[in-house]
Amino acid sequence: MSKAVKVQKKFGMAEVALIFSIAILVVVVAVPVIMIFLTAFFKDGHFNLAGVVEVLKQKDTYLALKNSLIIAFGVTLFSTIIGVFFAWLLARTDIPCKKALNAMFMVPFMLPSFICAMAWKVLLSPRSGYINKMLMAMFHLDSAPIDIMTMGGIIAIETMYLFPFVFLQVSGALERMDPTLEESARISGASLWTITRKITLPLVMPSIVAGALLVCLYSLAHFGVPSILGVEKGIYNIPTKIYERIYASGGSYEAIRVGTILATILVICATLILKLQNVVLKKGRFQIIAGKSMRPVVLKLRGMRWPLFIICVVYLLLTVVMPTVTIFLIGGLKTYGLSFLPKNMTFANYAEVFQMKMTRSAIWNSVYLSTLTAFVTMLAGVMISYVIVKMKVKGKFILEFLGVLPYSLPGTVIALGCILTWSGKFGINLYNTAGIIFVAYIARYMAFSIKSNSAALEQVSDSLEEASRSCGATHWQTLTHIVVPLIRPGMINAFFLIFLPALRELTTSVLLYGPTTRTIGVAIYALNEDGETVRAAALAGIALIIIFIGETFIKGLLARLDKTKRSA
Amino acid sequence: MKKVLVVLMALALLLPSMAFAGGSKESGGMNLMIYTSMKENLISQIVDKFTELHPEVSVDYYSAGAGKLMAKIATERQAGSVACDVLWTSEVPDFIGLRDEGVLLPYKSPEREYVVSTIDDPDGYFTAARLGTLGICYNTDLVKEPPKTWDDLLDPLYKGNFSIANPALSGTSMVSVAMMVENLGWDYIQKLADNGARMGQGSGQVVDDTAAGDTYAAIGVDYITLDKIAKGATLGFAYTDQMLVIPSPVAIMAGTKNEEAAKLFVDFLLSKEGQECVAAAYTLPVREDVEPRMDMGLVHPDEAKARAMSLDYDALADNKEAYIAKFTEIIQGGN
Repeated sequence: MSKAVKVQKKFGMAEVALIFSIAILVVVVAVPVIMIFLTAFFKDGHFNLAGVVEVLKQKDTYLALKNSLIIAFGVTLFSTIIGVFFAWLLARTDIPCKKALNAMFMVPFMLPSFICAMAWKVLLSPRSGYINKMLMAMFHLDSAPIDIMTMGGIIAIETMYLFPFVFLQVSGALERMDPTLEESARISGASLWTITRKITLPLVMPSIVAGALLVCLYSLAHFGVPSILGVEKGIYNIPTKIYERIYASGGSYEAIRVGTILATILVICATLILKLQNVVLKKGRFQIIAGKSMRPVVLKLRGMRWPLFIICVVYLLLTVVMPTVTIFLIGGLKTYGLSFLPKNMTFANYAEVFQMKMTRSAIWNSVYLSTLTAFVTMLAGVMISYVIVKMKVKGKFILEFLGVLPYSLPGTVIALGCILTWSGKFGINLYNTAGIIFVAYIARYMAFSIKSNSAALEQVSDSLEEASRSCGATHWQTLTHIVVPLIRPGMINAFFLIFLPALRELTTSVLLYGPTTRTIGVAIYALNEDGETVRAAALAGIALIIIFIGETFIKGLLARLDKTKRSA
Repeated sequence: MKKVLVVLMALALLLPSMAFAGGSKESGGMNLMIYTSMKENLISQIVDKFTELHPEVSVDYYSAGAGKLMAKIATERQAGSVACDVLWTSEVPDFIGLRDEGVLLPYKSPEREYVVSTIDDPDGYFTAARLGTLGICYNTDLVKEPPKTWDDLLDPLYKGNFSIANPALSGTSMVSVAMMVENLGWDYIQKLADNGARMGQGSGQVVDDTAAGDTYAAIGVDYITLDKIAKGATLGFAYTDQMLVIPSPVAIMAGTKNEEAAKLFVDFLLSKEGQECVAAAYTLPVREDVEPRMDMGLVHPDEAKARAMSLDYDALADNKEAYIAKFTEIIQGGN
């Protein structure tokens, strides 16, 4: 009898959940990564370091690595400066129309950076760029004043659309910060500069670093912007190099192997960056949020109030409104290169998006793939973070390790890993199906889900669950009646953190798509590469509308559902 | 919320079963997957017409650059399942390579006897289904006198303003480069490079760049350029004395599960009706009994064949990669 109980205990719900969680992460994340390392370092069953060194010695791979690092560094630096500045401006000063500005600064987050890169190429490419032409005519210049198709251009465009990562983190921290700390410094006679330097900055430093880190990881392995602005001029970063190698060589095994070696370097860089973050953050840990925070004192801008407001508006006009309008205008041209006169405009391209089989299926693929990924990854994330946060079970550290692993895996790496893992080597062949994109998306976005759900779960006190259990509820009842309702905001948040990026995904799907499984990102990219610029722009315009609807409409709907449920 | 969850759950279960069943549509009839480097406005017309005549075949196509298609097929072969039934691109060396590897299915269509082409595979592993021509596509705002000979392109007018599509990405560009090398020599490529010629992206992109005025002129594929001219682009299209004529062969993959449908499609493509679609899309048909768009400056297939630059395709199949590498080095070294 007692033996039976023991056995039952050993295989309780905790163990089952743990094993299941580990299994998911191993299959979706760990196996592809191991396949990449194996392919990179072993050739015909032998350890082959010489081959790796040889690849790294080649000038083009070495240059690609250098460019990747320079872009990542530049984008991180500028995003941090711009993000912190605007966050401070909106959180700590009396700038007018705060609410509207706050909402508007979130828009660059929604815009897919490669679509904007297309718009900027149209506006600022040397010679044919509309703005360049205008400036040349205005000031009688012989050559174009701005060339967007350079490293500087790539860094500038990526910064424009990545800085919200920093902005979001920092403005959140500034709003939640305990203002009494600053207050007491001021009473003690410290100047504003001293307060900023000694109190405010150290307090928000963890948020700045967290935001900068996200930007850095993202730009290190970003495909879209460099492929549109750089490749034509011979500027490659690692993802565009991997893409070119694989397609130029007819998909040979050797090319995939070179790809895996480059991918390994990306993983090493990402891991180093994560380590660096931990070192920086360990130096000084402060409690940012202390109880009920009071409204922080806002700085009176006085005479600078309106000029700074105008700077914000101009910045938004330049980075948000202008590229968006450009995309819609180009999409309305009869053919590329004409001027924007009414006689040259047509709605035919937009209509074609819904008539052409390829674009129609691309929209459908993206919509259902991102919905499905978001839903499945969200649920898996709830389970995994529940085991990590709430359960006391042996072997949890494996899960913790596997849980942070996807965080340092760039999209290109995941795509290569999925090709190696899911092309029939292990009996399952998903190549050319939507399935391979689906598993790649799960691997890519799992980190978002675990993060969001863990944060929500950590706020749920254990005492609530204990109370439920001691009242006689089963584990399952406790879960569905107590835990899930409490973490629902975290779950919804996770859903959108995955759904929206997946909807416009390019980096991963560009390596995985098959003849019938193009995503919106791939379709726009392919049309643009094929010289169907106006069609690409029309599809991009429709993609922007879909993303906008997804962001506002569905979010609003879910928020309302949540409210009615709570009041009932 | 619960209801939403239930609906989402149901969708989550339903969608993958729909999606991952992939391709095996329940139309009851035959399926066909075409991989082609022909652009949307050409292939979609042909597929529409074919579906009209053969409603029992459910046709799907994948249109991308020849390099990408070959990469896809190579990866598919490694993965053990080739989705492609019919391959139709402009890169003849690929077809020779695939034939020698035994991946193509020989098929002598009854329509073959009407075909006029610069290539011929006597065993019928592939058949030309279009005579692609390339000419000089130029911006009419910037170039008043269209070039007539290849040497005209070395004029200072084109300094830094002439572009050729990336031969690693575009099959037509690859073959054009090889033809220029064999007929005009590497010297000529070097001279182009010295005059600041640039390497663009795909074969469509160079035309768009020219339309936008980013370059003055480019080597442009006939139907891509003429389609844009028809839509009002400020472009012109001119043939040089020695013409770039690139046949686009069509072939059936050996492992196809849809052999019957594939043969139907090849027959249709080579038939008078199929070739009329080809001609209507501003490119050269392979049949003399179909009238090309002379009004747009195109020529008859016979004349194209007579003016065409020669090329040893068998040799090219072997040194394709070397050509691409050397060309890239010369052009990018010149900038």
